[in-house]
Amino acid sequence: MQGLVRPAFAAALAVTLLPGVATAQDDTLVIALPTFSEQTMTPWSGSGQRKTYLDLVYEYLVYLDGDGNAEPGLAESWELNEDGTQWTFNLREGVPFSDESCGTVTAADVQYSIERIIAEDSRAGPASTMRRIIESVETPDDMTVVINLSAPDFLLDTGYMGEAQQTGIVCRSYVEGLGEDADTAPPVGTGAYVLETSVEGSEITLTRREGDHWRVSPEWPSISFRAVPEEATRVAMLLAGEADIAPVSFDSIPGLEEADISIVSAEQTWSPVIRLGGIVQTDPARHNPDLPWADVRVRQAMNYAIDKQTIIDELFAGQGTVANGDTPVQAWADVPPYPYDPDRARELLAEAGYPDGFDMVLRTFATTPGAELPLMAEAAALYWADVGINVTIEPGDWPSIRSEWTSGEAWNYAMTHRGFPFANPENGVEAGFSDRSIFASFTSAELEELLAGLASETDRDARRERLTEIGQYIRDEAGAVFMVLANEPYGVGPDVGDWSIDTAYVYNFDQAGRAE
Amino acid sequence: MTRLIVGRLAEALAALLLMSLVIFLLSRVTGDPVALLLGDSATVEDRDRLIEQLALDRSLWDQYLTFLGNALTGDFGQSVAAGRRDALDLVLERLPASMSLAAVALCFTLVTGIAMGVLAAITRGSAVDIVVRIVALMGQSVPAFWLGIVLIYVVSVNWGLLPTSGYGTWQHYVLPALTIGTFTLAAVTRLVRASMLDALGSEYVKLARIKGLSEATVILKHALSNSLIPVVTFMGAFFATMITGAVVVETVFAWPGIGRLAYESIVSRDFPVIQTVVLVITALFILANFCVDMLYLAIDPRMRDRG
Repeated sequence: MQGLVRPAFAAALAVTLLPGVATAQDDTLVIALPTFSEQTMTPWSGSGQRKTYLDLVYEYLVYLDGDGNAEPGLAESWELNEDGTQWTFNLREGVPFSDESCGTVTAADVQYSIERIIAEDSRAGPASTMRRIIESVETPDDMTVVINLSAPDFLLDTGYMGEAQQTGIVCRSYVEGLGEDADTAPPVGTGAYVLETSVEGSEITLTRREGDHWRVSPEWPSISFRAVPEEATRVAMLLAGEADIAPVSFDSIPGLEEADISIVSAEQTWSPVIRLGGIVQTDPARHNPDLPWADVRVRQAMNYAIDKQTIIDELFAGQGTVANGDTPVQAWADVPPYPYDPDRARELLAEAGYPDGFDMVLRTFATTPGAELPLMAEAAALYWADVGINVTIEPGDWPSIRSEWTSGEAWNYAMTHRGFPFANPENGVEAGFSDRSIFASFTSAELEELLAGLASETDRDARRERLTEIGQYIRDEAGAVFMVLANEPYGVGPDVGDWSIDTAYVYNFDQAGRAE
Repeated sequence: MTRLIVGRLAEALAALLLMSLVIFLLSRVTGDPVALLLGDSATVEDRDRLIEQLALDRSLWDQYLTFLGNALTGDFGQSVAAGRRDALDLVLERLPASMSLAAVALCFTLVTGIAMGVLAAITRGSAVDIVVRIVALMGQSVPAFWLGIVLIYVVSVNWGLLPTSGYGTWQHYVLPALTIGTFTLAAVTRLVRASMLDALGSEYVKLARIKGLSEATVILKHALSNSLIPVVTFMGAFFATMITGAVVVETVFAWPGIGRLAYESIVSRDFPVIQTVVLVITALFILANFCVDMLYLAIDPRMRDRG
């Protein structure tokens, strides 16, 4: 009976309701995102999460190939002086802004864009670091931009001017004309799309610009972003055909694959880690030598005690590798991760004076990506219990924990964290392991010396060697409990053809293909 | 009557003032937006500079009095997370979506709840009564976020009848209104059933029956009209439940209302927006209760006489 009633009921309702069901339209690529973040429209007025939609409007001096190497963007070529303190970018001629009154990109636009990103009121993620290293921006002529640095930086092109960062090039006259209203006004850039509508907290729609674009050939006439904070709802949108692309958790992958939704993963774009409080050894306010993990042997034991590969297989659907640090760094490719060795962990704990282990608190929370962090905490606690470390897990929320963590005290707990996927890996290292950073979780006098050596190194190859040395040091000192270099999965509906993400914060939505 | 209205207005102002203080202090208990606004590589100097920019270095009382003084002139401050937009503008922009959803949910609740309550009362002890009571009990027990997700998967994904989420057409209202209204539906059903049972056993209903009036007239005109007075009394509370329930339901259904704005502003510790959202919701709550009081005066002669 039930088998008859339900389809009949559904059919009856369908006649009434179906015309209004919103499915992903044929000409519109619908992308469901957890958040629009600030939903402001200038590169400097908010976080990098807005790059999902702003990257369709703004373009960068430098783009990245699949391996993360620099490719010409709005800058056709560039050179670096001997000691790495001056970069000269030669701009591409004749790239038009979407607003005709802006004309084409000039050095003045680039200079203004950089100066706004590093301004004191900038809310861009890299603003702080960029402000420290960029001394001045000069424009010797209309098509040349010179960036003078206060310290050598051999990765400025991909690190700060590249598409993985926030230095999108704006039209100077348009932004200056709008004043403070520019943050919420329709953005004008050189990208292949222009903003059509922006409904606060709901939907952002962009349409393809007419004519050929110099860099990409977008196949979708329109791209619509929907803000959908609940992951289960995003998955439902994919299953119902209402969304074409959406970030999903590893848990949702089997169900989506069963329904013929393909999974595209951005490889190693985040790095789940467990940070230990109170071991910023070079800052007395953030250092507590009485903590068990103030002893390097305990920190090493905590790393040895966890079978990270099993955690990757079970919680991350096998999509990741065992981490050797808290951020993916090419120069650390040869730094070995800690193997799973509970016996060695017990030995080290005994040597450190904790043969029966100790009690500790592990705080955890979910983020996007990062729905797996609370489960990862549970798994780590089980492995640690096996070597005598008794963990009390305290669930929380990221804003509260982050606020506390960065307040400058010596916290006596550990926390799960999603890691630092910085476009410039040197910044990731500094963020986690230099006492200059309010976020640092481990430092030592030796490490600060190594970092200072890196900052002043003016030879590119020697700099890479120093970075490798730093990675090995942080690994040996067990500056954190390094867990996973994880992928970031996206569900992709059947209407989408080729589409991939190669690097963190590079979404390539303007290059998404349409299925035949 | 005038004394009652003036009294209610004074109470409303006192409630708003108290609420402004409570939300001002509570929102600061779990930290500030500074850490969230700073990049991961920010320095101590960056943090200090931002604290100064946001005037968070001043004493709490100083901050509160400044906020209160500005709020009295209609200036609720600028969002620290949403591009320095005016906090009140942000809230007012999202308000229609929440109000329209609450209105639809309230209509659904009243129409369905009253019908189910009457049905259960006139079939007291029957299978229908038992089913209605079980449904009412479940409605009050089921968490809104769970019900919302189940409805999305059954109605939208499996049956393909309605959109999973979003805002714009009448179809978008159905599932969120159903989810948000289920809790109050159960309350209305139980309330109407109990009132109807009282009314059906009363002297005036017996008299109506003795006079030979039809059963429909007895139930709808005599019993039901008197049974609705308690429902009217609780309408303010129902409305408040719907507005506060919107925080969860609007998140599940990606509904761009003030409930989701509240959630987003709490996550980003956007103090001006948190304060404005809560004060607007409080004002709505007070307004709804005021309207109920006035309605109650209009429909109950005894209250008019007392007033």
